[in-house]
Amino acid sequence: MPSTPQSMQAGTQPSPAPTTAPGWGDLDGIVHLLTCGSVDDGKSTLIGRLLWDASDLPEDTRASIQRQAGPDGQPDVSLLLDGLVAEREQGITIDIAWRYIDSGRRRFVVIDSPGHEQYTRNMASGASHADIAIMLVDARHGVKRQTRRHAAILDLIGVKRVLLAVNKMDMIGWSESHFRAIEADFGTIAHNFAFEKALAIPVSAKLGDNVARRSAHAPWYDGPVLLDELARVPSRGTTSGGAFRMPVQIVIRGGQDFRGLAGTISSGQVHVGDAIQDALSGREARVRRIATMDRDLDQASAGQAVVLQLDTDIDVARGAVLAAPDARPTAGREIDARLVWLSDAPLEAANGLLLRTATDLIPIAAFKVRGLLELETLAELPATTCTTNDIVIADIALGRAAAVDLFSAFKETGSFVLVDALTGATLAGGIVKAVRQTTAEIAASAFRLSNDMLARGVCAGLAPTDSEFRRRAEEVAIILRAAGVTVELG
Amino acid sequence: MRAASPAGRKSESGYTMTEHISHLDVLEAESMHIFREAAAQFRKPVLMYSIGKDSTVLLHLARKAFFPDRPPFPLLHIDTTWKFRDMIAFRDNTVRELGLELLVHTNQDGLTRNVNPIEYAPSLYTDIMKTVALKQALDLHGFDAAFGGARRDEEASRAKERVFSFRSPGHRWDPRKQRPEMWRLLNGRLGTGETVRVFPLSNWTERDVWRYVLREKLAVVPLYMAAERPTVVRNGQILVLDDNRMPLKPGEQAVLRRVRFRTLGCWPLTAAVESDAADIEAVVEETLSAKTSERQGRLIDHDQVGAMERKKQEGYF
Repeated sequence: MPSTPQSMQAGTQPSPAPTTAPGWGDLDGIVHLLTCGSVDDGKSTLIGRLLWDASDLPEDTRASIQRQAGPDGQPDVSLLLDGLVAEREQGITIDIAWRYIDSGRRRFVVIDSPGHEQYTRNMASGASHADIAIMLVDARHGVKRQTRRHAAILDLIGVKRVLLAVNKMDMIGWSESHFRAIEADFGTIAHNFAFEKALAIPVSAKLGDNVARRSAHAPWYDGPVLLDELARVPSRGTTSGGAFRMPVQIVIRGGQDFRGLAGTISSGQVHVGDAIQDALSGREARVRRIATMDRDLDQASAGQAVVLQLDTDIDVARGAVLAAPDARPTAGREIDARLVWLSDAPLEAANGLLLRTATDLIPIAAFKVRGLLELETLAELPATTCTTNDIVIADIALGRAAAVDLFSAFKETGSFVLVDALTGATLAGGIVKAVRQTTAEIAASAFRLSNDMLARGVCAGLAPTDSEFRRRAEEVAIILRAAGVTVELG
Repeated sequence: MRAASPAGRKSESGYTMTEHISHLDVLEAESMHIFREAAAQFRKPVLMYSIGKDSTVLLHLARKAFFPDRPPFPLLHIDTTWKFRDMIAFRDNTVRELGLELLVHTNQDGLTRNVNPIEYAPSLYTDIMKTVALKQALDLHGFDAAFGGARRDEEASRAKERVFSFRSPGHRWDPRKQRPEMWRLLNGRLGTGETVRVFPLSNWTERDVWRYVLREKLAVVPLYMAAERPTVVRNGQILVLDDNRMPLKPGEQAVLRRVRFRTLGCWPLTAAVESDAADIEAVVEETLSAKTSERQGRLIDHDQVGAMERKKQEGYF
């Protein structure tokens, strides 16, 4: 195969001056980019190449890397990520690392996750923050088992755009047929999933070909270079489609009659005058005011942190989800879930578990493992327990109804983490595949721990809307449930 | 109910969609979200206020998060007694104007033993007067959560830091006990004896902090702006003589230089840079085209290799 990297040298343009001229002003937006692959695939070199060719590195850093260039004059851009590599080799903490690259008018947040199988959980947690993922493969080896596994994790966690960077193309003499074979393999894999975009790009991170600038070696490739494709991703803060959702974080009081519901809009938008509903109770009100410290707003969209004042008090507090009346979340008691098991320890007992949704914390009445998802074949293997890195298929029965969405439609109100009630540890991250509504008989048989009752006891002196009131109420409920009593709060 | 529209288009009602939302708006909203989560989940939080530009931004975001109410927690300043006089004046003025509660803590034991940055190694001084002092203050008041201004872009060991960073009893940071953070979900349920550091500025860069200072027209300590100040050059670093507690060595002399600071701390440990940037706009312009990284002006970080990682495990912010 193959010409040596040396012979490739002639056709490669010297690195251009950085294309960025950072202004004082704001950047257009933020794109979160997950890189997955192993060090061997050239991941550090690829991120280093983006920094080198497309960002405004401090001049002293640039000069220092250039001084260390080899006889061919090519800077070793992976040195820009040196610290990370050293840490990996020492095996101290294998974890996702965050880097910030300003390129042109865009901020790229690079979430760097390890690729090996034993780090599935790290990759999954990194993927939950990503708008797009770059999967790296070595052109000499093509698509591997790992690629299939990575694609499955990305799909599960809801990443909609994936790029396959077919790296080290210089090592196979920029062979089109090799690339097309890898591209076809990748297409076969991607076909199984719900990606909106899945694209293979032939690159040489080492030489900079098709990363930030078009390669002179692959005239047969007429697709976009990597950076162009990244620049096309809609940025955070610009996606406001979908029905309105706002999980309530806290109640804010200001002055005598101001009672505001503070939260970050997780989907859609809201305007002054809109009708909204509390997802659990169905109680409805209209938005009187959207308050921020800068000014009152006429409307606000997904991603904005606001305070909503309603025209009537519908008695909601932290944990509630405000929603569009014609499309509110289900008040669910039973969830069909997929989870990534994050804990070092296997599932021990299916009691003492809590489900943390956007802003609610709900005791789990029963947690039943139905099976494990085999990532390479996507087969569902029967199982009754689970451990680190497993993708778990589980039925979760909640101790009380909670406002829950399907993850496929609402990422933020359709995802959750599983919490160990005793240690507080985050055991797993999960998504909602299906949810069943509150059934009448469960609700009827429950012991109702009323606010009045609580206010006469452990919550004396606190208002029912205080977070401390709710916290104590939950503690009491947990104790009762541990004793086998089905409890309804409210 | 209006129909939701795809990003970047105008809806039927004529509202412009959110394409104009800038990266600072995204960062601001994220930080407010973090403040609110922490205030809701922890029993007794406190905001670590160190007077510099990051603290200034942190405090501003806290005010936004709880508007129209005040932030539901006090500020805590660890005073080593070696801060620039301008910093203390700025601190007291800020707290007075905003009507906030400020707690000031000094390690009295260290003070009694005259632990100072001139005679002691920087790492030892910092450990006693900052790290130990911080632990004392947190224990004294029983705070279970402390907001800090640390950013992931500051240093390699911070690139992996969580937004909710858990500390074992004794305030130790154990990398193995950090919790994975997925989506926007923050799990603040504490185990026995655990406390947490909360970093709302995790995803901000130094440039973002300055851009935001400019955009929001925030007042910062005058030391960030260039002015003629009495200086001495020691070990290649320009030190500003803030009072007469540091004796000059033979051959050294105080010289007026036009300097400013990129970071602020204890004055004998904080190097200045020569600059003509006399107002915020000029400072931001200079910073955005900066040729070297931010913490170069902070002498303690040069003290030894891996210093930050080690300091963090011991409980330094």
